[in-house]
Amino acid sequence: MNALLTSAVAGLTAGGTYALLGVCAVFTYRLVAVVNFTGAAIGTAGTFVLIALFEAGFPIWPSVLAGIAAGTLTGVAIGYIMTRWFGEATASTKAAVTVALLVGLIAIGLRLTGGQHPHNMPELFPGSAFRLAGVEVTIASVLTIGLAVLFTILSDLFLNRTKVGLNLRALADRPMAAELLGVRVQILSLLVWGMTGAFTTFALMIIAPQRSPNFMTLSLLVVPALAAALIGVFRSFWWTLAGGIALGIVEGLASSIDSISQYRSAIPFLVVLAVLLWTQREARWDEAR
Amino acid sequence: MSRLVVSNLSINRAELPVVSSVDLTAESGAISVVLGANGAGKTTLLEGLSGIIPVAGGAIAIDGRELQKARPGTRSREGLAHVEQGRTVFRQLTTEENLRVSLHPGADIAEAYALFPELVQRRSVKASLLSGGEQQMLVIARALLTRPKVLLIDEMSAGLAPVIVTRLMTAVRKLADDGLAVVLVEQFAALALSIGNRAYVMRRGRVVYDGDCAKLRQSPDELHRLYLGGQEMAATS
Repeated sequence: MNALLTSAVAGLTAGGTYALLGVCAVFTYRLVAVVNFTGAAIGTAGTFVLIALFEAGFPIWPSVLAGIAAGTLTGVAIGYIMTRWFGEATASTKAAVTVALLVGLIAIGLRLTGGQHPHNMPELFPGSAFRLAGVEVTIASVLTIGLAVLFTILSDLFLNRTKVGLNLRALADRPMAAELLGVRVQILSLLVWGMTGAFTTFALMIIAPQRSPNFMTLSLLVVPALAAALIGVFRSFWWTLAGGIALGIVEGLASSIDSISQYRSAIPFLVVLAVLLWTQREARWDEAR
Repeated sequence: MSRLVVSNLSINRAELPVVSSVDLTAESGAISVVLGANGAGKTTLLEGLSGIIPVAGGAIAIDGRELQKARPGTRSREGLAHVEQGRTVFRQLTTEENLRVSLHPGADIAEAYALFPELVQRRSVKASLLSGGEQQMLVIARALLTRPKVLLIDEMSAGLAPVIVTRLMTAVRKLADDGLAVVLVEQFAALALSIGNRAYVMRRGRVVYDGDCAKLRQSPDELHRLYLGGQEMAATS
């Protein structure tokens, strides 16, 4: 029993990261209507700037700031491509473009970072925060979940209490009508891309030491993130947050059961499949009739 | 005293000419009515003026400042407001939130409620739940809060009851009387001509009449001929 609890708690760090990446995906989808497959790759780019600077002997916290700035800029660059050339495209076209950009980012990232070459990723927050039922809960777990909760709360407050948030909600509803009223559509869209880039980068910096820190592995964290977003049906921040954390816990539990541990990376796919089947059940029922 | 001057404007859709060599003027205090049959190019003309679609040639200027290459947002900030057809409210926002989105410096939401007191009771209601008439009032009021010099209105009467259309026409006339330059694209020709000053009739992307509204209102046969064209008119009579 204690082994299961330990595994579940061990999954909290990953869960917090899935939750934050998922909430960022919902944020991007709700405000600029893009299912963004590059979310984790943008954060990975920033994380590798931190690694490069750290390996070159720069002090850690300035390197963290430089990494977050690089992740923000990468997000803005991707956002510029999406708003400049694909602003009026359909949601499926935009999603396809981000898949292409993801492939491009991974290819460039692997080339620049030496592929599977091992890197010295500093642990930003080592150690235990507290004990829960006799199990150590790491500072990294608390931080990633805290960051995900903070982003969720801030997103809610920002969208519902500020003029910029109001403009963003208008932009998400009818981009052209918003622009015709003088809303600075392009700048606001880039703001969304930049904000999600910054948060994603910081989350990946926390989780990277616990993963194999190569560009491909970190970039593909977008899969559980989108699974979490799907649990929130790409609308609810809170359901996405809960979904991401639950995914991490389930993954953690799966890793402690020998017979299924080798399949635990398939869990997000199963979740995606289950949510899609569940949400499409009425359509299939109607068709069958 | 503001003035919109459109010179020799051409607009293509899918590389086919839809608006060709159009000249049009709108001045403070006056309503320029643009009439024409379906497919004449009226909506395309307004979309070209506000920047929704690019123009192929010609010039658009407000008070001498050329805008034909500017983005829609820039044109808005230069004083050009466009009320699109189809009542483009922000569906998930309330009436008041819709108004706050467009609130430019110096504007006051009270102006919107003064123009359409009907909206006061509906200020906390989601725009998607408003009636068609209320939605049309909301998009006109929303445009007003951008502090425009020129207001373009496209087919505001579509799908609305006659009593609501009359109410909206009265409000638009008041906006012009208060100093706005209005360009009104409308299917209800008689009603539009009754509140308008200058009329333009478009056929196949070109202006085939540019003159006084009152004169055109007194000659329905002439209007009919302008809509359908000389030859077609002859063929049907």
